[in-house]
Amino acid sequence: MRFLLYDAIEEIGKGKYIKGYKTFSLSDESLRGHFGETAWVPGVLFIESMAQLLGWLVIFSHDFSISAVMTLVENVKIPSRLRPGFRAEIQGEILSTSKRDSLGCCRMYVDGEMIASVERIIYVHSRSADSGQLLNLFRYYGGMVDRA
Amino acid sequence: MRYLLVDRILEYRSGERIRGIKNVAMSEDFLEFHFPGNPIMPGVLLIEALAQLAGWLEAVSSDFSRWFLITAVKKCNFYGFVLPGDRVELEVAAKQDEGSPLMRCSGICSVEGRKKVKVDFEGELVPLSSIENVEDQRRFFKILTREFSLS
Repeated sequence: MRFLLYDAIEEIGKGKYIKGYKTFSLSDESLRGHFGETAWVPGVLFIESMAQLLGWLVIFSHDFSISAVMTLVENVKIPSRLRPGFRAEIQGEILSTSKRDSLGCCRMYVDGEMIASVERIIYVHSRSADSGQLLNLFRYYGGMVDRA
Repeated sequence: MRYLLVDRILEYRSGERIRGIKNVAMSEDFLEFHFPGNPIMPGVLLIEALAQLAGWLEAVSSDFSRWFLITAVKKCNFYGFVLPGDRVELEVAAKQDEGSPLMRCSGICSVEGRKKVKVDFEGELVPLSSIENVEDQRRFFKILTREFSLS
């Protein structure tokens, strides 16, 4: 299982917002055991989807000079009974950011209906990041070669 | 990867609390990308470990008629990294209002006595037979609690 919980970044606005999507497939490794008699996408993976996408927004907004470490999530709603075979839109926003940390929120939608949300995510910035490596990862993972 | 985030159940009190273990191995698939060159156990999978432990608590408390599915996280603090080689101690305390279909839980993950994650979460209770083979789950619970025999 490649622990990448989004498929592409579609739009990004420095210091402001990010949009992307994740397709949930019946072939996902996470469904081996979740569950034996039915396939429901594990709810915590929606938190990871939102956290990964918003994390890129934080890194992008600081010109790849930092990496972002999630330290808090608050007021999170996640679905418990979604069968795979759908595409979820992910929309994240930065609410505030400083040199040391960033605060954001994020939502996920399927066919226009909100299926998951997190009101507050806090990331602490780590300055030990390798900017060149982060930029390469963003190009590969995000699929936005011309934007990076 | 089999999506099983609890390796062992140490003790439980029906309807109240449960303690277990998750061992983090360098061979775990998710460490390859979380993060490249810096393997760190994903925090949400520690929440999942606690949610699965809550599932086992509900299962054993209901004679394997129900399971717990997480639907909300009220608050979760991540205090430090969990790394390959760590033995994560998991603790969940559960509370259910009389007649409510919801269960509220608080959980802690710690490594060598140091708190790594603290989370308040809640979820719904579903019939176990709708998602798993009940007899298989009974057998698996005995493996987790080491009550099984090979005979």
